Formats: sequence, C-alpha cells, structure tokens
Amino acid sequence: MKAVETKDLTKIYSSSFGKKKVQALVELNLDVESGLIFGLLGPNGAGKTTFIKLLLGITFPTAGNAKILEESLSNYSVKKKIGYLPENHKYPPYLKGGEVLKFFGKLSGMNGLDLDKKIDELLELVKLSQWKKTKVKAYSKGMMQRLGLAQALINDPELIFLDEPTDGVDPIGRKEIRDILVELKSRQKTIFLNSHLLSEVELITDRVGILNKGKLLREGTVKELTEKKEEYKIVIEGNAADLDSISFDNSFTRISDGSYSVKVADINELNKTIDQLRSRSILLKEIIPMKNTLEEMFISLITESEKNIK
Amino acid sequence: MNNIWITTWYTVREALARKVFLFFIGLSALAIIISAVVVNVLSDSALISGVTTQDNNIIFEEIAASIQLIIITPLASLCILLAIFSSASFVPHMLEKGNIDLLLSKPISRSQLLFGKFLGGLLVVLINVGFLIIGVWLVIAIRFSIYNFTFLSIILSVTFTFAVLYSIIVLFGVVTQGSILGMMAAYFIFLILSPLLYAGKVQFGELITSDFLKSVIDFFYYIVPKTSELMGQITMNLALGKGIIDWQPILTSLAFMFAAIGYAIFIFNKKDF
Ligand SMILES: Nc1ncnc2c1ncn2[C@@H]1O[C@H](COP(=O)(O)OP(=O)(O)O)[C@@H](O)[C@H]1O
Ligand SMILES: [Mg+2]
Repeated sequence: MKAVETKDLTKIYSSSFGKKKVQALVELNLDVESGLIFGLLGPNGAGKTTFIKLLLGITFPTAGNAKILEESLSNYSVKKKIGYLPENHKYPPYLKGGEVLKFFGKLSGMNGLDLDKKIDELLELVKLSQWKKTKVKAYSKGMMQRLGLAQALINDPELIFLDEPTDGVDPIGRKEIRDILVELKSRQKTIFLNSHLLSEVELITDRVGILNKGKLLREGTVKELTEKKEEYKIVIEGNAADLDSISFDNSFTRISDGSYSVKVADINELNKTIDQLRSRSILLKEIIPMKNTLEEMFISLITESEKNIK
Repeated sequence: MNNIWITTWYTVREALARKVFLFFIGLSALAIIISAVVVNVLSDSALISGVTTQDNNIIFEEIAASIQLIIITPLASLCILLAIFSSASFVPHMLEKGNIDLLLSKPISRSQLLFGKFLGGLLVVLINVGFLIIGVWLVIAIRFSIYNFTFLSIILSVTFTFAVLYSIIVLFGVVTQGSILGMMAAYFIFLILSPLLYAGKVQFGELITSDFLKSVIDFFYYIVPKTSELMGQITMNLALGKGIIDWQPILTSLAFMFAAIGYAIFIFNKKDF
C-alpha cells in the first residue's frame, strides 16, 4: 500500500499584494510505501513543511493532487489514522500536559478509559509522566517536543508526519526519539520525517528524498544515494613495496599502508586492475565499495543543482 | 456534532482560563447579594412610593420587573462589553501558527472548528448572563412572592445581542487573524452605530426632512445589526411580559449573524495556513 502519493504537486505562495510569488513546490511526484521510515531532506526553505501541510489539507495545492493512505485529501475522516507533529507547535497554555493529550485525543475521535490509558502510556514513553499535571506553559523546548511526539501518537496512527522532530532536543533526547521511531516502525507504522539534520536521518530512515527549492532532486534508499559507484577501496596483504612501480590505467592512490583507493569507470575496469595486481602475486584481502556520508552527497547534490539553475 | 461540541467545550475552558469571565461572575454575585439585602430591608410602602397606579397586583408585578431591570440592564451591558473584549482573541488564538496546523490535521472539518468556536463564545456568555439574571430574578421573586418566569426570557435576548456582535468578531478574526479590528467593529456597532441609526430611524425619524439622508439612514438601519433595540426595547418588553411586539429587529439581526458566520466559514475553508 502507498502511504503517500503525489502527482505534479505544486504550491505557489503569493503575498497578499500578489506581486511576490514563491514557488514552494514544483510538480512534485513522490510515492512513499507504507511501513517505512521516509526522510525528506533539504535546506531551510526547500519546501519540506509545505509538502506535509499540503498532504494534511492545512494548505491547498496550486496544481496537482495527492493522496494519503489511498484517500483523497478532501476526505477529512482519513485523518483519524494520521499523526502529526508540526514544526512550531503550540498548545493552549492553560492546559496541563495530560489535558493537551486528552484534547487532541478527543478531536481524533477517542474517548473514555481507552484514552486515559493511552495518555498514561504515552507520557511514560516520552518520559513526561511526572509532568502530567503541570501546565504546558512551564515546559521547556525539549519537553514540548516530547509532548508533541506523544500528541502525534495519541490515536495510534498508521501514518505519522514529523516535522523536524529533534529540533531543540538534547543528544540523549534525540537518541530516545530515534529509538521510539524505530520501535514504531517495528509495529508496521509509516513514518514521514522532515529534517535538515542528515546524520540523524541516516541512522534510521529506509528511504530518503532530497528536496531543494521545491524540486525533488533524488529519491532512494540511503545506501543507493550514498554509494559512489565508481570508487573502491582495495586492501592487500602485507606491504607491497613494488606497487608504486606499476602504471595503472586508472587512478590508483595509496590511502594508508596496505590500503588503496581506485576510481574505475565500470566493473570490467575494476577487474582489470585486480588482474594486474594478481599477476604480481599480490594477495587481496578486501575490495570495498566506497561510500559518501549522506551529508557529503547532500551538499554536492545541492551545490550541483544550484549551479544548474544559474 | 461531537466534533463541534469538543471545540465548544474547549473554548469555554479557554474563557475560564481568562480571568475576565470569572471577574464578571464575581461582580454578578456581588450585585445579587447587594440587591437581596436592599429589597429585604426596604418595606413594601417604600418600594411602592412614587408609583401612582391603583391596582396593587399590577403594581407589584411591574415594580418587581422594573427593579430587576434596573439592576440587570447596566450589568448585562457591562457583560457584553467585557465579553467582546475577552472573546475577541478566541479565533485569532486558534489561528496561531503551530496551533491551527495541529487542529487542521485532526479529523474535524474547518466548518465544524469555526462553528464550535462560535458556539463556545456564546455558551460562555449564556452562562454569565444566565447567572446574573436568574440570581437577580430569584432575589426579587422571593421578596415579592411573584414568580414571573417569562422574565427569564431576557437571558436569550441579551445572549442574542452578544451573538450578533460575536459573529462580526469571528468574521474579522478569520480575515485579519487578529483581534483588534473585530473588537473595534463590535464596540463601534454596539456603542455608536446601532444607537445612532435607531435614533435616526425610529426616535427622530419625523424630524429628518432630507429624502437623501432618510434613505441613507434606512439603508444602514436595515443592514447593521440592531443591538440597541435588542438590548433596549425588546429586552424591556420581554421583561415586562409584553412578549415580542416587533420581530423586524430580531429577524434582520439574525440574517446579519448568519451572513457573517457563513462568510467567515467560507473564507476559513479556503485559507492557507
Ligand atoms: N504561508 C506562506 N506564505 C508565503 N510563503 C511561504 C509560506 N510558507 C512558506 N513559504 C515559503 O515557501 C518556501 C518553502 O517553505 P517551507 O515549506 O517552510 O520550507 P522548509 O520546511 O523546507 O524549511 C520558503 O521560501 C518559504 O519562505
Ligand atoms: Mg520546515
């Protein structure tokens, strides 16, 4: 099943005087299969928040259309199965932590003992149990974020949208949030995550999309996106001193004692290099495809796309 | 229905969190206690003095109603003034970034959300006004042993006066996402425009000779909600047991209210957040 499906989704914001227009999203086509953790990455202003808002009917598309859980957006009852943690969430300051959850639980169609039980369970999960009876105006940023996560889970949703969930949370809190997300995934939930914190996303997401200036530059698994297809690391046995005397067809450079990096056009060329090494009886220990970090890939992708625009 | 009720109820909670309504309840309680003391200290003859009618039964009913009105009218007007002030922020608060996003992500339609806010504001005022009027009524009723239940219908006329003004506040709240303009518009209509138009149309209608001015006054008289008549003439007639003599001010104000709320919902349904 597809949790999210968009077709040429476009959003153009026009200011109240109609002069300045912002293309927040440009003909975006993106499908997200259910049961995955999907990360939408992009610099500030890329259009990530706009994308979620369009899916939830908070903002309306200029063109194109979208479905969530295979339902059209105009059907608001599908939101019973949705959880959402907005970027800058605010709760009525006169409510206590537990009451906030009760309010949103009721709005999601829950009631009575079920709801009370769920509230305690979630407060426990996000480690706010002892704050249940404290007004939210006394909460810190990190506590608000954890309450927000509990709020997003109150109706036991199938599909959860989280907009910068670790924003303002300390490293330990971040780890805890990541653990919660992984646990949710194990219960077949779909998680759609917006973030500009790549190193974090890399740790838990199954697939990522890279968004810049309203355009989807790349979409795939983290592995696919970070593999440098043409670069390998070769580790040899011992320390072959005469390796320097071989003239290879390709760039063969020494990284450290016994390990070398080789850039090749394709797999044939890689094997030619191996043949050359083997013909000198050099023992190969490892041949490893080299990886970018997501961050390196991201930066090069964004800079490239900026160049293309100019 | 359930969705509307949840929003309504949490609007009442928001109102309770703002001290204005509690302040008003306190003020009403004080008024009730003071009037209880005063009417029980004064003798019948002291209360009747100055009234020259012969028939004692009618006298007592009218005196009872008049005393009730004298206590209630200024307080009810104050209640509306305070209610305008404190309800003006209900919609803008709801529309704040971070709050509206969350509400709209829930399985509730935008129309339900806004209508619930509207009902919530009304319910708060109904509770306040009801408390004041029932309290004062009870004090006087016990003192004279006259239980004139029709008097209590003014709870509705006073709340309705507020409802009409609140529809303007809600509309401005949705359009401007702020509270100031709606509040100013409501005060302007309640305190200046409606009394002025009432005077121009009904009280001093004969004195205006210019046909052009007459039609201008006519035009605005029928469009602008008639809060001054709702709180004045109509409430008074209800209190004195005369019923509703002229439905026109009620119906035109009701039409205005529906138009304002309808338009507010229409705009809200199309708005990007
Ligand atoms: N309500 C709005 N009115 C006008 N422009 C907006 C509005 N919301 C967002 N934008 C613009 O749309 C672009 C995308 O914003 P956003 O979706 O918030 O990006 P991100 O979440 O990736 O940081 C930005 O240029 C932003 O300024
Ligand atoms: Mg954002």
